[in-house]
Amino acid sequence: MRDIAGTVACIDGNTFMVSDSSGDVESSPSTPVGLFAADTRFLSRWRLTVNGECMTALSVDDSQYFEVTFFVVPGAAVDYVEADVSAIRRRRIGPDLTESLTIFNYGEQDMTLDVRLEVAADFADIFEIKFDIGEKRGAHYTHVGPNELRLGYRRGTYQREVVVSASEPAEFGPDGLAFAVRLRPGQQWSTRLQAVMLALRPDGVDLRSALRALRPDDSTLPTSMQAWVAAAPTLDTDSVGLQQVYHRSLVDLAALRFAPLSLGGASVPAAGLPWFMTLFGRDSLLTCLQTLPVAPSLTPPTLRILASLQGVRPDDVLEEDPGRILHELRYGESAAFEEQPHSPYYGTVDASPLFVVLLDEYERWSGDTALVTELEHEARAALAWIDLYADLNSTGYIWYQRRNRATGLDNQCWKDSWDSISYADGRLPGFPRATCETQGYAYDAKIRGARLARTFWGDPAFADRLESEAAALYERFNREFWLEDRGFYALALDHDGTPVDSLSSNIGHLLWSGIVPPERAPRVVEHLMGPALFSGWGVRTFAEGQRRYNPLGYHNGTVWPFDNSFIAWGLRRYGFGNEAARIAEGILSAATYFEGRLPEAFGGFDRDTTKFPIRYPTAGSPQAWSSGACMLLIRTMLGINPHDDHLAVDPALPATFGRIALLDIPGRWGKRDAFARQRPDQR
Amino acid sequence: MSETSAFFERLTVAGQDPRFSKVCGSVRFDIRDDGNLEQWLLEIDHGRMRVTRSGAPATTVIKVSAPLAEAMARGEVNGLAAITRGEIMVDGDLALALRIGRLFPREPGQLQREDPTVGRDR
Repeated sequence: MRDIAGTVACIDGNTFMVSDSSGDVESSPSTPVGLFAADTRFLSRWRLTVNGECMTALSVDDSQYFEVTFFVVPGAAVDYVEADVSAIRRRRIGPDLTESLTIFNYGEQDMTLDVRLEVAADFADIFEIKFDIGEKRGAHYTHVGPNELRLGYRRGTYQREVVVSASEPAEFGPDGLAFAVRLRPGQQWSTRLQAVMLALRPDGVDLRSALRALRPDDSTLPTSMQAWVAAAPTLDTDSVGLQQVYHRSLVDLAALRFAPLSLGGASVPAAGLPWFMTLFGRDSLLTCLQTLPVAPSLTPPTLRILASLQGVRPDDVLEEDPGRILHELRYGESAAFEEQPHSPYYGTVDASPLFVVLLDEYERWSGDTALVTELEHEARAALAWIDLYADLNSTGYIWYQRRNRATGLDNQCWKDSWDSISYADGRLPGFPRATCETQGYAYDAKIRGARLARTFWGDPAFADRLESEAAALYERFNREFWLEDRGFYALALDHDGTPVDSLSSNIGHLLWSGIVPPERAPRVVEHLMGPALFSGWGVRTFAEGQRRYNPLGYHNGTVWPFDNSFIAWGLRRYGFGNEAARIAEGILSAATYFEGRLPEAFGGFDRDTTKFPIRYPTAGSPQAWSSGACMLLIRTMLGINPHDDHLAVDPALPATFGRIALLDIPGRWGKRDAFARQRPDQR
Repeated sequence: MSETSAFFERLTVAGQDPRFSKVCGSVRFDIRDDGNLEQWLLEIDHGRMRVTRSGAPATTVIKVSAPLAEAMARGEVNGLAAITRGEIMVDGDLALALRIGRLFPREPGQLQREDPTVGRDR
């Protein structure tokens, strides 16, 4: 897989288009550019030429996620100074792609222009692009009509098709369409191009038609985005950078909302562009946890869809078990033919406890007891999964070992690349493995589950049982994961119980979950904020000095904004306000180098050395939990927490911000404001 | 009797399923075998289930071929994958159809041979 710098994205949930800055798409089998829907590439080529020349962008406006406007001129960058011809491409993504093309003649002569659009569709599954698999099993077809170009792909009963048409007369061919345009001086010409994407059943009906009928008309998109932004609290701050990050994050969260097939039209956050434009259990749950103070409406549909797809039976291919919350859901060809196990895949060990954590946290904010009652059965099943199915060797921990050895994930924690869990000397532990942060989530889930059982489910006996299990887990974990001579928690336990002794960001999540005894917290914090882990921008996933450390290692040394936001939350929980503020300052400052859009991850290089954050080559952007990181960092700086029926505020601002106010924070209290101001003696 | 018929007969006998205590609705299965059409109507009212051979209107209609229905009854079909590849056609409420899918048995997926590559990312 390859990542292309300088690309422009136009997004509407899991439908999106990635092009170059002129609006063109020229993809290869392994580049994630083109028009995508439901994990399938519907356009792999979309290239505009005028009199045989490609276009060059003068400017691009992508401030609205669902619409991008490209101002372009023909020719390479050096030629356009004298250009008489210029064009505007206004692209919009909804269920279909529409693109309004307007060409201007600002010269003094009449012009005859040969305007061409090259079109191709490879119908690649996103996994074929990721793993660079060029061969397709089915057959492509092309139908050229007088008014349309129809490109399709068929494999048995699986059929996908894209239909390209234009509002002005055009000559259609198998490789695209052409317009003969005559323009007098000062004249302009326009056409509206359309690419309709179809996921066809054998009876010719689009299998998403019921869902699409529920979708509001495209013309409501601008107002829908305005309403989304207006519903969120207003941020008032002296920091222009923070204001920009906040606004961008809100818009990106709106962009990533999508309506899964099985949810009756409600939307949930897709995980990230371009690789993860679908439902992930872990990503969506953590994004909801991050965004409760600003966008609580994301949470109920997320919990509901994860509940409706909760595992019911053991399955070694999907790695399903009763009560297990899913990892990943896909609609592409590889999922359809079960070549990939994503229909849905359950290979995660943290989504199940996090499901319970979110349900409880949501109730604390919203007071929505109805949802807690509605999802009682599923929350109990998720809690039962922890003890009945995740404790693979009866030692009282959540372990993982993949059962799908062909296409399952080696590591089923958030650091899910194959080499992310290693000893300090680089050795990889055996299986099963138990990572530390997952035990923290389990502890937190039991504590929170006990509150739900006692307060809402009328089951104090179950609450007592959960609390005693949590206490036993706390004691056991602190005995077996703690490395007394090093002063931190092991990253994981090896299959034989040997602590995996590397220093990692995972220990920060333990503070968030509350499984660290207060007297140990200062030593953990010292490591988190020490030079081996803290880069100046944030806490690295993996500490310098570990054998596999690499500042550009996906999970072995990069800095992940989402990871840092939970660490900051944990620091606040244990009273380390200044340290949480340092992390908030670092991550939010880094965001300003990415035009306010925090990527999935960036390089772990030292801030003093590089002065600016180093882009990670294949980082997803926008990424839901990176957009969410901004929201959670604002929460930690303000120190806002639901406390019975009111909102408690306890600010700890970094020195760079003089003033932060979040106005109209929604919750069980109605709407409340939170203010934070730097004390003069701290500036 | 076909596996499909046996499956629906079992549902008729069961009558009640606590997993569907919050579910209300009707689902009709249209099973096509060449020219023949076999229809089963499943009505759910807060977990109480009534199964009849009927072509009466339903909020959700699931259209499958007879061989696929047999495979479903044997527990060999991943419903979501089959919908995505067009082998199961659902008209109406897809969420309800997926819930109903849980009534079907499911053979545990078979363990596969070890992949020679080291590992993979998500």
